[in-house]
Amino acid sequence: MIDNRIYEMFREIGRDLFESNMISSHGGNLSIRLGDRVIIKRRGAMLGLLKPHDLIETGLEKNDSGVVLASTELLVHRTIYMNTPALAVCHCHPRTAIAFSLSRDELVPIDNEASYLLKKVPVVTEEFASGTPQMANKVANALKNYKIIMLRGHGSFATGQTLDEAFHWSSTLEESCQIELATKIINEPFIEYRGMSASYSKF
Amino acid sequence: MYGWNGKVLDIDLTGLTYKTYPLDMEIARQFIGGRGLGARLLWDLVGPEVEPLSSENVLIFTNGPLTGTGYQTSNRFSVSTKSPLTGTVLDANSGGFWGMQFKKTGYDALIVRGKAQKPVWIELKGSEPVFHDATDLWGMGVFETTTRLGQNNNKRNVLCIGPAGENLSRIAAIMNDRERSLARGGPGAVMGSKNLKAIVVEGSDRPEIQDKERFKFMLYETRKLLAASPLTSQALPEFGTVVMMNIINNIGALPTRNHQMTQFEGAEAISGEELTDKYLVKNSSCWACPIGCTRVSKTDKVEGEGPEYETTWAFGAQCGVDDLPAIIEANSRCNDLGLDTISTGSTIACAMELSEKGFIDSDLRFGRADLLSRCVEDMAYRRDLGADMAEGSLRLATKYGHPELSMSVKGMEMPAYDPRGMQGQGLLYATSNRGGCHMRGNMLGLEVLGLPKLIDRFQVQGKSSFVVLHQNTSAAIDSLVICKFTNMGVAEEYFARALSAVTGIPYATGELIKVGERVYNLERLYNNREGFTRDDDSLPPRLLNEAPTEGPSKGWVSHLEPMLAEYYRTRGWDEKGVPKAHKLEELGLAGLLE
Repeated sequence: MIDNRIYEMFREIGRDLFESNMISSHGGNLSIRLGDRVIIKRRGAMLGLLKPHDLIETGLEKNDSGVVLASTELLVHRTIYMNTPALAVCHCHPRTAIAFSLSRDELVPIDNEASYLLKKVPVVTEEFASGTPQMANKVANALKNYKIIMLRGHGSFATGQTLDEAFHWSSTLEESCQIELATKIINEPFIEYRGMSASYSKF
Repeated sequence: MYGWNGKVLDIDLTGLTYKTYPLDMEIARQFIGGRGLGARLLWDLVGPEVEPLSSENVLIFTNGPLTGTGYQTSNRFSVSTKSPLTGTVLDANSGGFWGMQFKKTGYDALIVRGKAQKPVWIELKGSEPVFHDATDLWGMGVFETTTRLGQNNNKRNVLCIGPAGENLSRIAAIMNDRERSLARGGPGAVMGSKNLKAIVVEGSDRPEIQDKERFKFMLYETRKLLAASPLTSQALPEFGTVVMMNIINNIGALPTRNHQMTQFEGAEAISGEELTDKYLVKNSSCWACPIGCTRVSKTDKVEGEGPEYETTWAFGAQCGVDDLPAIIEANSRCNDLGLDTISTGSTIACAMELSEKGFIDSDLRFGRADLLSRCVEDMAYRRDLGADMAEGSLRLATKYGHPELSMSVKGMEMPAYDPRGMQGQGLLYATSNRGGCHMRGNMLGLEVLGLPKLIDRFQVQGKSSFVVLHQNTSAAIDSLVICKFTNMGVAEEYFARALSAVTGIPYATGELIKVGERVYNLERLYNNREGFTRDDDSLPPRLLNEAPTEGPSKGWVSHLEPMLAEYYRTRGWDEKGVPKAHKLEELGLAGLLE
């Protein structure tokens, strides 16, 4: 039985992801780790309209009947938990960040907030997107050193102790990319205001 | 070599001899330093046959690869031993200047074995220890000893015990730099049992840093983060740790009158605001610390560092005392006599309840501020009832037939957060390897302050994941060794990067926390070897059965059992609380049991 407090947390973050245009109707995913268990969205459920029965509990390492209903991305979430200290994962499709990921190997924010919080977001490439071991390993490996990473042309994976922390990194990245996009429209010389910013790409 | 000095100093007080040898760098890589290195060395050196106050026990002083580098709060060091209070593995760490100076002597660890024939003190000036007669210092308070031995913050630093340690109080602290302490679990008694009064360090070697440019960037970013956090840049510098008093009282998690209640009507009178308004002389800070949470306070009778939040609670709410000058004075007496203020205050509170209920014959009553300093002295000198109280609250309450009135876990008195109002904190206390302790992970951030984000403090399901993560993270931070307050503004990923820059060994954030997990499991193995079982992972019956009748935590007891079962699964331990073979294999600890 999943505690109602946990459902409420999923419901609120899922709704906010949809309303902030960071997922399509059926896109994205959320999960949390509870000890040796994982709670993840049901396959085909809509994050923006989650119901209590849309949350599936299954083992972190061990399969049980929960896997029949769990999201196809269960494998990547499990792999992240087994390779990092994460207790929550937020996967979404931030549009501007995806656009930048198509031409860059890392996203280095230029705005103050994301510079402060993220420093750098690596971009990893995997052709087979959803649920494959290759993709799971690449994403989990990148998240060993970074709290949020981009899968080129697909979306972001962010980790945290809580879902709202992982959502925080996700929304910060998209906001930062939108700001950078705006600067390209303005197209004026950039005035550096951050100390040691040249070191960000080495973070 | 970068970060580490690569050398161990091993002293045997029985013959006043010493040897030096290289630090095993594979152990260093796996356990880093500080608490982790101490636990690993202790595993080999002190087995279950050793009585904590016998000459076979050892004291292991350790620093870490960040110590002395100038990274924010890299002043700390650690002592590891078998605790005379709990019988568990013990480490205690402290700030100030001594740790930085110790690192400059060229050692990563100092092991002290045996027992001197008569009182001695050790002078470590450079790499060669010199033994001095301490007969004239024996019986002297910490303040005078520190001055006599030439304390000079940036050049020469003194660590010593006071009369409490000499008299083998099981709650005696080791003090350094006059008023900093390795307080919990009775390490001062172990030092006293060895006839060792003091260790003075004076060094000159600065640690080498492998990637100076990257390290400079980490220093810069860490400074920015600490300056941006209201906790580390405003609350702690302005009010000290006592800033927590009103916050914890307001949520109904302030243990009051020996945990009989969870709110104290006199909290405002002993708050950080009151301390700052009326008694603060100035702020002070440890070496390389931009936070500066230390308070120098003054009353008509004393002037000195503190009191910290836990101390103010222990002598205040826990004893039903709202007289701040009396608390400041009791704190000062503890510092001079060398006592752990948390255990001392909570033991006095236990004696007050025993006395009020007629189980012991004394004039102690809740609210008797006038008796605090006298009690402290009686405990340090083992006078009258103080002789029993010097043993800690569990032995005291057991002697008088009511062990349930000791607010302790594994015999160590719990600090100032009531598990009935913070469910995760209760699980954390119950499973802490050194007993009731808030420094082996703390749910304060998640359950109260919203660091990194707020979770429901009454939620039970899923709490074990947070507790395990924070216990592991704390063990990692204690192994670096830096101050946990840094972690209130700076995430672990910065610590991992700073460690990588200093040592040249790449540590991902998860790998750093994995070191913490390794340390935690090793400590658990140690306690298992000492005979500790699931039955010891518990809380006083009061917290499990008696719900507060009013306030924000009204109706709540600690729901420990379901959290504990989940905790063992999360840890990869069996239902008896023993790490499973696959977990030990994963952590590289399996070989220790062969």
